[in-house]
Amino acid sequence: MQKQVRAWLEDGKVDVFLAYKMDCGHPLPYAFTRERIEETEDLVTGPARYSLEKFATQIAARHPEKKIGLLARDCTQRALNVLAVWNQLPAEQVEPLPVNCCPSALKPHADCTYLEAPATGEVKIQCGQDPRQSIEAVDAQEGSERFARWMYEFHKCIKCYGCRNICPVCFCKDCSLEHPDLIGTGNLPPDIPIFHLVRAVHMAGRCIDCGLCEDACPAEIPLRLLYGKVNTIVKDLFDYDTGASDALSPFSILGDKPTLAPAPLMAVSQE
Amino acid sequence: MTLKRIAFMQQLLTFMGLEGRLHLEWISSAEAQKFVRVVTDFTETIRRLGPSPLQPARHRQAANVMVSPPGIARSATPDETAAVAKSA
Repeated sequence: MQKQVRAWLEDGKVDVFLAYKMDCGHPLPYAFTRERIEETEDLVTGPARYSLEKFATQIAARHPEKKIGLLARDCTQRALNVLAVWNQLPAEQVEPLPVNCCPSALKPHADCTYLEAPATGEVKIQCGQDPRQSIEAVDAQEGSERFARWMYEFHKCIKCYGCRNICPVCFCKDCSLEHPDLIGTGNLPPDIPIFHLVRAVHMAGRCIDCGLCEDACPAEIPLRLLYGKVNTIVKDLFDYDTGASDALSPFSILGDKPTLAPAPLMAVSQE
Repeated sequence: MTLKRIAFMQQLLTFMGLEGRLHLEWISSAEAQKFVRVVTDFTETIRRLGPSPLQPARHRQAANVMVSPPGIARSATPDETAAVAKSA
């Protein structure tokens, strides 16, 4: 891996390579460059995970001429697809270097810090939404119970914006969550459930189910479950596979023609 | 786009436990009777569902805004004590 990155930098295949550097025993996200090529010896791969593609987006915005390489997990690949679809990061400007990631039938071993949420406590099972349950299990709950459980989860929010900051596909310059007219300021918890629903709506056609938000959340709100449902709705209504599809998102307002057949929606409107 | 968004939002709200409180209908300015029918029907639907479970929280927030300037902690209900302690 280190040799490969070194070769890419020396050949000029990439101008900068985003990966992890071992620093005082901690793998930290780092940009390796040709000028300091000896640092590639400290490059590490492993379970450590950060949204490198977010850095790539920011670098690409400032230096459109630079070619960016990065370690790419399965979720990174999906994020790169989404960022290309949303015109944030041109696909030709990035050079992903695949690394071992999510387990599959072919490779049971996986290098990822967050394949599923840690064990769920008794209180959460009683009052909240268990992040390990399936979307169908949540759907099966009684309406008022579902509401109470979600509100219990949202009540814990400390509005740290961790979910948004880590999110590889959150790229807006002006964030609705920080707009005082949309989300009230000064109180904790923030305006619930609006705060979380606004983010959930913005994840429609974008969320690539990497789980970084849930991993980052200090209040352990089962965000992946919520955004997982969002993706399921987008799939059911619009037949759109977020992360895999190269078509524009169903909620994209750019372009002059409809990008998806209205068929699935007509059924809804006639109900 | 509106149809897409509302169809999506209805399902998301259902997942949150706020089912049936969002309705979309196209009514022309020439369709007064349709307007009356839709609004009456939906009002009845909402009445059957009862007050929004979010309502108490909203009243409390509105009250807070009225009695204290922004940013100043106010006397709080027990579940807000933590928030007050932090902002103090």
